[in-house]
Amino acid sequence: MSDMAVAVGGVKLRGPVLAASGTFGYGTELPVLERRALAGMVSKGIFLRPREGTAPPRISETPSGMLNAIGLQGPGVDVLIRDYAPKWAEWDFPVFVNINGESALEYGEVAARLDGVPGVAGFEINISCPNVEQGGLYFGNDPRAAAAVTEAVRKRTSLPVWVKLTPMVSDIGVIARAVEAAGADALCAINTFVGMSIDLNAYQPRLSFRTGGLSGPAIRPLAVHLAHQAALAVRIPVIGIGGIMRAEDALEFLVAGCAAVQVGTATFVNPRAIAEVHDGIAAFLEAKRFTSLTDLPRYLPRD
Amino acid sequence: MTNGGQVFLLDSPITAKREVARDMFVLAVRAPEIAASVRAGQFVNIGWFSGPLLRRPFSVYREDGENIEIILKAVGEGTSQLLAMKPGDRLSCLGPLGHGFGLEAGPRRAVLISGGLGVAPMPLAAGEATKLGIHVTWVHGARSSDELCTESQGHEVVWATDDGSKGFAGTAVAAAPDADVVLACGPNRMLAAVADRWPEARVAVETYMGCGTGVCLGCAVPLKRGGYDRACKEGPVYRAADIDWPSLPSHLPYAVTA
Ligand SMILES: Cc1cc2nc3c(=O)[nH]c(=O)nc-3n(C[C@H](O)[C@H](O)[C@H](O)COP(=O)(O)OP(=O)(O)OC[C@H]3O[C@@H](n4cnc5c(N)ncnc54)[C@H](O)[C@@H]3O)c2cc1C
Ligand SMILES: Cc1cc2nc3c(=O)[nH]c(=O)nc-3n(C[C@H](O)[C@H](O)[C@H](O)COP(=O)(O)O)c2cc1C
Ligand code: FES
Repeated sequence: MSDMAVAVGGVKLRGPVLAASGTFGYGTELPVLERRALAGMVSKGIFLRPREGTAPPRISETPSGMLNAIGLQGPGVDVLIRDYAPKWAEWDFPVFVNINGESALEYGEVAARLDGVPGVAGFEINISCPNVEQGGLYFGNDPRAAAAVTEAVRKRTSLPVWVKLTPMVSDIGVIARAVEAAGADALCAINTFVGMSIDLNAYQPRLSFRTGGLSGPAIRPLAVHLAHQAALAVRIPVIGIGGIMRAEDALEFLVAGCAAVQVGTATFVNPRAIAEVHDGIAAFLEAKRFTSLTDLPRYLPRD
Repeated sequence: MTNGGQVFLLDSPITAKREVARDMFVLAVRAPEIAASVRAGQFVNIGWFSGPLLRRPFSVYREDGENIEIILKAVGEGTSQLLAMKPGDRLSCLGPLGHGFGLEAGPRRAVLISGGLGVAPMPLAAGEATKLGIHVTWVHGARSSDELCTESQGHEVVWATDDGSKGFAGTAVAAAPDADVVLACGPNRMLAAVADRWPEARVAVETYMGCGTGVCLGCAVPLKRGGYDRACKEGPVYRAADIDWPSLPSHLPYAVTA
């Protein structure tokens, strides 16, 4: 067996495949799961206080993908600590909490509340949230706002801090460097693309929220490119996300410069997807006679 | 309402297919583990090679210990592909999922109300009720007699058609008598009418589903007390009075209006 362990942004993981936020609930829901292959999970995005989420319809299938507008429905940090963290503390893989806020202060407050709670291994900052103090501009589109959020979280915790980048930017390298400088331990690339789909019987968008985040195989080549660009821009590790269905897809991200990957939408299609991706990567390494995942050649030409 | 417990992911061959009303078909697939544990109102999430990205949820129509059956019409890409398949072709079946009707002994009379494809969970529900010693009246409606699925298993049945071509002329809801327990499945609009008349009715709702397993929050059902829960996990069967009906999308055309 090749050694599948990887070190990513302050933690050692037993493998390179994690479950992506919002596609794995709180880790307690999914049936027929094979936990052995799970290197870690990122829990559904949480705010300080409970959020109802958006009105239905919330999802719509698109060619090779899906749009979602869940609206970050969640019970808030206190319930997370009470109901889920104690379970996570007993698991043999780390759980990262996807944290959200309407202000840099709120992100920091969420991190501070969760810091030191048994079961919480670290944070993934979702910067694809509208900044209420800045009239709803997205934190993730503005290097200063993205850095401010990263700093606000960094100051309130000693746990690993990962920052999840949005693809809705003109140069992902600029944001990547800004959050690296602000103290991020790793980057996660990418979140969903904003998309829209129209119902021709109703003459209106299919989603009640009008727009939604596009995920699934439809975004994979875009995601590989953006993860690669992020990896070129920084020294910290990058975790690749977007449309991974099979081991070959994950290997594309790894060769493109990522240290690990997250699997999202594929879990909806196949609850065993993560295990199959993990096992497929192991089989690839065997077949190519690499003793360790770290020996996998990376395509990262730096000028 | 009952939880089916263990969920299975099975590679299931199609074993039979029959037409039960105009353009309405029943597919049987071999899924012994699901057949053995499924309760009325639960569903399976079905995917197949070269199918659409997401699985498609279907109520379990009947089971014979070895096979489960689903009932469907071609309403879009996925259902068209399913109905083009032949016995021997394989489906990936995830289930049983969700909470069913959760029938328990006690009531003396149950009325089952279904419209169009809402017939889907009723054979299992009728079977469970009968086993519990509950007398079943089944009221089933469709637009016209040729669209009416008239498979039944010897219960007291009332047919209803919008055009009066068979049985009661009007909706299944209008044709239904009162009872201790009311179970209903059909278009959300029909279920809203059921909720008006029988707030305690147990109704199986339809929503879009991303995962069917409770992880995506895509199947939100708006609740009267505020907020949403998941059709695939807490549902798809609800107490009618608990749902905020005006906020539940009703334009999903899967079931034929009764
Ligand atoms: C719990 C549950 C049980 C169901 N049981 C049955 C059943 O027993 N028999 C049956 O025929 N159908 C059932 N459905 C609906 C079935 O899942 C949809 O008909 C199917 O997903 C349509 O897929 P498609 O690819 O053919 O249609 P698509 O091409 O995806 O869409 C065709 C049309 O169908 C509608 N639609 C698509 N998906 C859904 C959905 N999940 N719910 C409602 N409308 C949808 C859309 O509005 C669209 O206009 C059930 C749905 C749920 C949630
Ligand atoms: C239904 C759904 C909910 C999601 N919720 C979140 C979330 O709460 N926080 C977040 O950072 N990303 C969220 N995402 C984005 C995913 O984590 C992932 O970045 C994206 O789906 C791309 O990966 P995929 O193509 O493998 O799904 C969500 C995605 C989906 C499909
Ligand atoms: S369909 Fe995903 S949570 Fe219900």
